[in-house]
Amino acid sequence: MEDKFKTVKEKIAEELQKYALDILPDREDKGLDEETQRLVRDETTEGLDAFLNIKTKNIHKIIKKQHALKIKLDKKQEWQKDTFQRFNIYFRIQHMMLFMSVIILIITGLPIKFPNSSISKFMMSIMGGISTQGILHRIGAVLLIGFYVFHTLYTIFNKDGRRDFVQLLPKSKDVKDIFQMIKYFFGFAKDKPKFDRFSYIEKFDYWAVYWGGIVMVGSGLIMWFHNIALSYFPKYVYDIAREAHSDEALLATLTIVIWHFYNVHFNPSRFPGSLVWWHGKLTKEQMIDEHPLEYERIVKGKEGKND
Amino acid sequence: MKTNNSIAAHSCSGKKAKTTLKYFGWILLSAVIVALPVKAWSQASPLYQKCLLCHGRPGFKKLMPDGKVLELFVNKSELEHSIHAKLHCTDCHADVMEIPHLKVPGKVNCYRCHYKDNPNGAKPANEFFQSVHGKLVTENDPKAPHCQDCHGGHNVQKVDSPLSTVNHQNVAYTCGKCHKPQYDNYIQSIHGTALLDRHIKSAPTCTTCHGKHLILKPDNPASSIYPLNVINVCSKCHENKELIRKYNIPGGRISTYKESYHGIADEFGSVRVANCSSCHRAHLILPESDPRSSINKANLAKTCGKCHQNANVNFTKGKIHINYKSKSNGILYYIGMFFEILTLSTLTLLFIHILLDLFRRYKSGEIRGKNKRGE
Repeated sequence: MEDKFKTVKEKIAEELQKYALDILPDREDKGLDEETQRLVRDETTEGLDAFLNIKTKNIHKIIKKQHALKIKLDKKQEWQKDTFQRFNIYFRIQHMMLFMSVIILIITGLPIKFPNSSISKFMMSIMGGISTQGILHRIGAVLLIGFYVFHTLYTIFNKDGRRDFVQLLPKSKDVKDIFQMIKYFFGFAKDKPKFDRFSYIEKFDYWAVYWGGIVMVGSGLIMWFHNIALSYFPKYVYDIAREAHSDEALLATLTIVIWHFYNVHFNPSRFPGSLVWWHGKLTKEQMIDEHPLEYERIVKGKEGKND
Repeated sequence: MKTNNSIAAHSCSGKKAKTTLKYFGWILLSAVIVALPVKAWSQASPLYQKCLLCHGRPGFKKLMPDGKVLELFVNKSELEHSIHAKLHCTDCHADVMEIPHLKVPGKVNCYRCHYKDNPNGAKPANEFFQSVHGKLVTENDPKAPHCQDCHGGHNVQKVDSPLSTVNHQNVAYTCGKCHKPQYDNYIQSIHGTALLDRHIKSAPTCTTCHGKHLILKPDNPASSIYPLNVINVCSKCHENKELIRKYNIPGGRISTYKESYHGIADEFGSVRVANCSSCHRAHLILPESDPRSSINKANLAKTCGKCHQNANVNFTKGKIHINYKSKSNGILYYIGMFFEILTLSTLTLLFIHILLDLFRRYKSGEIRGKNKRGE
């Protein structure tokens, strides 16, 4: 009966207090990141402000804002609850270094591979002639070599790096997975193969870059420092380096453009592409779909810890 | 004939005879006027008979104030067999107005006849004045070559005449009068010996590469021997299948050059990079087997060393003009083949994987959209 006598304003104030109290405990546990904490803090203080200055004219605006904030916060918490950090910051930086250098190298290198095409001539004119092209290609090369050095150090000295390297080694399960996948493609099997942290597709990509790196950096260095190289090696070594560099470049370019782009951009479940390379996170659904074995392992590990 | 008969018939009448004679006189006069130059042309020599009274004497010369002796003898037979045999002396020596002439006649100006828009040789004259020689002429350089310095003065001949100084066989000697070191190199080169010793008409001479009237400096982008254009000059013969077969010239030189980094950089306009003449030299071009040749194994390190520091004997271990599709390259051919097979097989497998993936997604309705799935 008391409620009836309460003014509208008083009711609103009560609601606001409830909001604030709902959210406050969340701040303590669940390991919210800084931005979320700030959002919570803002909301709480604003709510309390509104509660105290209950007679403000713009009370409805405040309520609206509170509501929007609440929705945003809910979404963020939802996202954080069900995401898995797939790639750490070093891994993501490595990928960025790799794709930046490869893009530079492909753009500056392909005109040399196909000198007679009109596109090559156009690209060369944009770059400002063959001497500038040479400088740009070497900048790309330095970035790529930097990536390989970084990756080697990461693999040796970082815990995640060591774990990933072991996980990336080819196993007999990969062959089984390939056959399972083919069966699945033709409808003989109902389910896709269950992948661990890295599927055979990702393993292929990794080792392709490994092989490509050895060929490209090795042959590239011989050509870059050809005067030094030729004072130690006969000329046919240089010729072999040139042939290998040119052929492997085409193989790598086609593999990236056809294979890698299909797997991460053009395939219907990914189109137009995901941002995993940027934030390194996968949702629970993605995790179950793409890396079920790893998901199971993580969940088991957590439960084990909790017990 | 009819008029003549009528004249004969009416000759008795005195007045009429007078008028007919008058007509006859006019006809005769006009006939003489028409016929005389034709006769003079057919017997040219009388035209310069007067000049040759002095200049026809062998040993006719004059001591100039600066101590030089000026040869003034003109060979009559040379004149009579030149392409200008039908011209007067004064047609060219236009400043000679009287005999004996008191002043030393000036340099003959061929441009008087071979002027612009004259179909008889306007184009060469125009081109000439754009060339490095013509520019020196317009600058009044005393050493500048005039038309007559190459084409000859009194003995000027058609280009295809073997007597002509600018004939394919003789032009090298003519150029060599001023460009002595280049001439000396040229006559030793494979091109020079082929043309001058073995008399192979297709062998190149100076003008084949440098052009005829429009000769430009090598640093002029319009020049035929500008670094980027050298390849076009050489490919005129070295990509000519007929010549390659006929004279057993090694083929595929240009195509293999274009595949090399030198050729690619040249294609993209690098002037620094080596072109044909950087290694083979411009004038003293010799086959690899010749010990004097710049591309002889013994000299190759030195030749490469012009650009590549520390060039040593390693530069000679391996081919320079590589045809990547030829089996004769040994390991290089097999490496190329290995990558070809690797690329084709890898991409085929990956492509099949993609197609199967799409096929499966289509079957399970992922691509067709949710609405169509159940229907």
